[in-house]
Amino acid sequence: MVIPEDRQLNIVVAVKLVPDTNADKRIDPQTRRLVRSAAETVLNPFDEYAIEAGLQLKEQLADGSSVTIVTMAPESGKEVVRKALAMGADRAVMLSDPAFAGSDVWATAYVLAAGIRRIGFDLVLTGTQSTDAITGELPGALAEYLGVPGLTYAREIHVAAGRVRVKRETDTGYQTLSAPLPALASITKSAAEPRFASLKGIMAAKKKEIAVLRLADLEIAQAVGGDGAKLEVTELTASPARAAGKTVTAADGNAGARTIVAFLKERNLL
Amino acid sequence: MKNVIAFIEHKNGRPRRVSLEAAGAARTVADQLGGTAHAVVVGGDAAAIAGELKAYPLDTIHVLADAAADGLIDPAVDALTTVALALGPSLVLVGNTMIGRDVGSRFAARVDAGLNADAVAIDVRDGRVSCVSPKLGGLVITTCVFRSEYGVAAIRPNVFAATPGSGSAQIVAIEPAGRAYAVTLEEDVEVAAPELGVEEASVVVSGGRGLGGPQPFTTLLKDLADAFGGAVGASRAAVDAGWISYGHQIGQTGKTVSPALYIAVGISGAIQHKVGMRTAATIVAINKDPDAPIGAFADLLVVGDAFAIVPELVSAVRDARAVHV
Ligand SMILES: Cc1cc2nc3c(=O)[nH]c(=O)nc-3n(C[C@H](O)[C@H](O)[C@H](O)COP(=O)(O)OP(=O)(O)OC[C@H]3O[C@@H](n4cnc5c(N)ncnc54)[C@H](O)[C@@H]3O)c2cc1C
Ligand SMILES: Nc1ncnc2c1ncn2[C@@H]1O[C@H](COP(=O)(O)O)[C@@H](O)[C@H]1O
Repeated sequence: MVIPEDRQLNIVVAVKLVPDTNADKRIDPQTRRLVRSAAETVLNPFDEYAIEAGLQLKEQLADGSSVTIVTMAPESGKEVVRKALAMGADRAVMLSDPAFAGSDVWATAYVLAAGIRRIGFDLVLTGTQSTDAITGELPGALAEYLGVPGLTYAREIHVAAGRVRVKRETDTGYQTLSAPLPALASITKSAAEPRFASLKGIMAAKKKEIAVLRLADLEIAQAVGGDGAKLEVTELTASPARAAGKTVTAADGNAGARTIVAFLKERNLL
Repeated sequence: MKNVIAFIEHKNGRPRRVSLEAAGAARTVADQLGGTAHAVVVGGDAAAIAGELKAYPLDTIHVLADAAADGLIDPAVDALTTVALALGPSLVLVGNTMIGRDVGSRFAARVDAGLNADAVAIDVRDGRVSCVSPKLGGLVITTCVFRSEYGVAAIRPNVFAATPGSGSAQIVAIEPAGRAYAVTLEEDVEVAAPELGVEEASVVVSGGRGLGGPQPFTTLLKDLADAFGGAVGASRAAVDAGWISYGHQIGQTGKTVSPALYIAVGISGAIQHKVGMRTAATIVAINKDPDAPIGAFADLLVVGDAFAIVPELVSAVRDARAVHV
């Protein structure tokens, strides 16, 4: 498929709703799933960079291209999704169905791909990782299920002449990569700082559409959610809390260094 | 799942350490499964890397020597898929790194495999592979078993042993996929001398706002990290101030590390920093505030001025380590 140069782009940004780090996280011992309550749910901080990148692309293109937010999350997260609309996205689609609960990375990618195909897209943007799962595996799997090139860890992104070009972070520098649209890119934190929603944006977001798609609305051939997950959680334990160790006040630099060296020797670290 | 395949990342003609750890883990798990251990290596230097891999206890090293694959993800995924489908149900081990996650997740989607991120232990019980991983920033530990025929585990660097072994591995060529790729690599630029990444280092020396500027990161902290053979990390406050690049950031919106020793210098110990380093075996903090939150979870908090303590510590560590080598 070749996208004509002058066509408006459907930019779809996949965002995750995550528990606020500062909120007390609880795991239901029965279901072994995170207990989420709406008040403690926030937009995955990484995904705000993807939203910002989408909005900037839309503004640069200035040709009627649009930004659609998509998330697979329970409907109770609607007001959190509205924050993304307040930043300036045009509309949002929630993939919400009890059948999606308990999805692993595989099932999440599979369902999201079905949702994004249903929405229609030229460019999919994601964050690089989520603060709760921190898998960073979703963008690659999503690109694969969508059957498009995946340009990950982009700290700069440009679209021109039907191609997307990114600067991709590497461990020791960067790569410049390009690919024809449709494509997926994951946006790193070091891309442009996300904007704050303006009062006007917040007011406008109240009128914007948040559509909900359910399992039956999507073309899904395999079992998803907890039943379809390819990984089954068999054990879940709280990691032992770290206790405070000792505190030593150093009289001077030398005394401080000696305290540390003695401690490291004690622990066979020196 | 019977066989185990380690995907080998390499740079400048050398395999990455986490990939050697994957090779070591591949052997252990394959033995438990009663299967065979494999490595897949792709790129212009693949043949040379394979030679080096011969020192590790693998059964077969699959090689696609093709410089056109360098720096790209898709050719590696194709090669891995070719090998995996020929072997039948298997576990693929990738490093939990930028490249490892990309290759692992694309492969997993291609064969509908379960994907276990950030594995710190892999076990076989009743013929089923299970992985242990910290979740929610180390708050909980999960054990997961695969329900799929193929599985992918992204292993945390620095956890599995990379023990050289027999050296009798067979080297075989991978059939090239022979297709054109949509992604074009226009340039691959190195800006920093390749140094040990924070995720792979067994000692991480991190600095925070307390260091007051960029200079201590390239002098004080760098010297201390070098004295240990470790890497320099940072808090978000230091990264946001532009004192050091984002790749060094530890925490919720940065990297998660679990070194043998973590030294936090001038870092208060906010929850978002803590979740990135709480699984370090030993935590030492240097902070001038006796009530800094980091004291609540550090094994040792030395209260004092970093600028006075660190230089002394550098020479003391150099001396101590000189005696040992
Ligand atoms: C959504 C979100 C995500 C975040 N993600 C991260 C993350 O990934 N990583 C991260 O680190 N933070 C993160 N933060 C920020 C975090 O909350 C803290 O603001 C940050 O960690 C503070 O950095 P710091 O400890 O360097 O600075 P400060 O909290 O300002 O602490 C500086 C410390 O230095 C000490 N000090 C000062 N001078 C000296 C001296 N001469 N010698 C010794 N000690 C000295 C002070 O006593 C103080 O304890 C995040 C925050 C949010 C809201
Ligand atoms: N449930 C979800 N709905 C929409 N996007 C998601 C979801 N989970 C993950 N993502 C996207 O995938 C990225 C990586 O997440 P993860 O692989 O979970 O660390 C996130 O930054 C989001 O952009």
